[in-house]
Amino acid sequence: MAEAPPAATLAQVSRQTEPADASASLSELFGGVSSMVAVVGAEGVLLSRILGRTVRGEVDRAELTRCLYRMGIRSVPIVAVTALFVGGIMVIQAAPTVQRYGAQGLLGWAAGFGTLREIAPLLTALMISGRVGANNTAELGTMTVTEQVDALRAMAIDPIGYLVTPRFYGIVLTLFLSTILADFLALIGASLAGRVLLGVEPMVFYNGLTGGLLGVSDVLNGLIKSVVFGGAIALSSCHFGLATEGGAPGVGRAVNAAVVVSAAGIFVLDYLISFAIP
Amino acid sequence: MSQSAGTTAEPGLAVTLSELYRLLRSTLRASLEGGLERGAVLRQMYEIGNRSLGFLCIVMGFMGMILTYQAGLQTQRVVPDLSLLGATFLELLVRDLAASICALMLATRVGAGIAAEIGSMVVTEQVDALYMCGADPIKHLVCPRFLASLGMFTMLVVLAACVAVATGTWTANAFFGLNPRTFLNLSLLSAPDVIVGLAKCVAYGAAIPIISAHAGLTAFGGSEGVGSATTRAVVGSSLAVIVLNFLISGAGYALFGP
Repeated sequence: MAEAPPAATLAQVSRQTEPADASASLSELFGGVSSMVAVVGAEGVLLSRILGRTVRGEVDRAELTRCLYRMGIRSVPIVAVTALFVGGIMVIQAAPTVQRYGAQGLLGWAAGFGTLREIAPLLTALMISGRVGANNTAELGTMTVTEQVDALRAMAIDPIGYLVTPRFYGIVLTLFLSTILADFLALIGASLAGRVLLGVEPMVFYNGLTGGLLGVSDVLNGLIKSVVFGGAIALSSCHFGLATEGGAPGVGRAVNAAVVVSAAGIFVLDYLISFAIP
Repeated sequence: MSQSAGTTAEPGLAVTLSELYRLLRSTLRASLEGGLERGAVLRQMYEIGNRSLGFLCIVMGFMGMILTYQAGLQTQRVVPDLSLLGATFLELLVRDLAASICALMLATRVGAGIAAEIGSMVVTEQVDALYMCGADPIKHLVCPRFLASLGMFTMLVVLAACVAVATGTWTANAFFGLNPRTFLNLSLLSAPDVIVGLAKCVAYGAAIPIISAHAGLTAFGGSEGVGSATTRAVVGSSLAVIVLNFLISGAGYALFGP
């Protein structure tokens, strides 16, 4: 029976067969690093093209609306479910500390800062990367391998302006709005879990949240992160979608690579923003 | 223009859950029967474990830094005493975050990979060819990945947790001047934390390959179908990780107390 080819990611395209000695392993390592750099560079070029189209106003508005509906509205259920559960999980994790120090009043603060600054943007981005990013790569990848993108070029329609730019702004806006929704729902989930598990009244939770230890800067911190994550997801999925080759298995590999690069990019950017904007 | 890569009729949640349960049962039965291809499990362990190592180390390294930095920043606002920062960080890591964040990352990488591979085999009729040869696709495709994932997952989580602890220690030292010996404080860790953490590792290690293999096996429709299967695998695995996290954390809290 046929053996499935190993699912090589596009970012590891330079990988050769079994390395025979140390120097081959070293070149494999550098190959990995150089292909990572190549991916980042390609995404940078794509970003500059998108910004160029935006500045010149060459964005297809109908496609933008369609993207916003498909990506934003259809992601609401999954974002809502994730946020509620994450709020509950955060309270479960904070419960030992709260009970040890009798700090019921601080539960709102603890859940609040974790959610607003880190967990809501991060988990929303991961969920949307999995759902919207993967879907986007699959769509663009299918269009590329079935030569529909070449047909667009043949008709003198600019694929970047028509396909990529609306998706870019669609994903960024989706992530921004979903993070706001996730912030809200995660705090509700946390307050429910606090009530059920620790007997912390919702009013106490609310006071802990708004008591003065948290501010607008925390919310804004989370929202800036969400916009940057949106950019990372959009660039990664569009780049790997357009660079797909190899038929149906190629689409699968492209989706795999896009999702992996999005996730790694999200974490690295999270760290950089956390330090840049304390 | 091609429509969105979706299925025509999404099966309901109950149907999907029952199919997943049946797949899990078949996989367990086929694994216990024996007669797997030689080296298949080892090859999958390489694919799942070794090939994810770099990605996981990067992610968990940054995770450790972010967590320590944010927690330290906030604790400084309220209680300017950072002596328990390391202890709470370690407890949170072992009990929850190491397994869950690794699971989310592996759901994207491994889940997408399994679904893409199996999905493209389904779409190019290779799985039908397996049926024609009288071979069981579940035994030959799903079982090696399931066993490999169970084995490698715990090891990856342990290694990733070590990386996160290392970067967290460095962050606490560099940004808050905390002595590594103060930071590496195991006083808040106890057996229930480790048990809950390990239970999560096993649950995620079992859930991710089953959900991804199910998504791959139900692919149809050419390259669009492969893309859709990969998406479903990633979304399903991520959701399962979050729900299982909630359930196991809740069970741990109920059984072992705070």
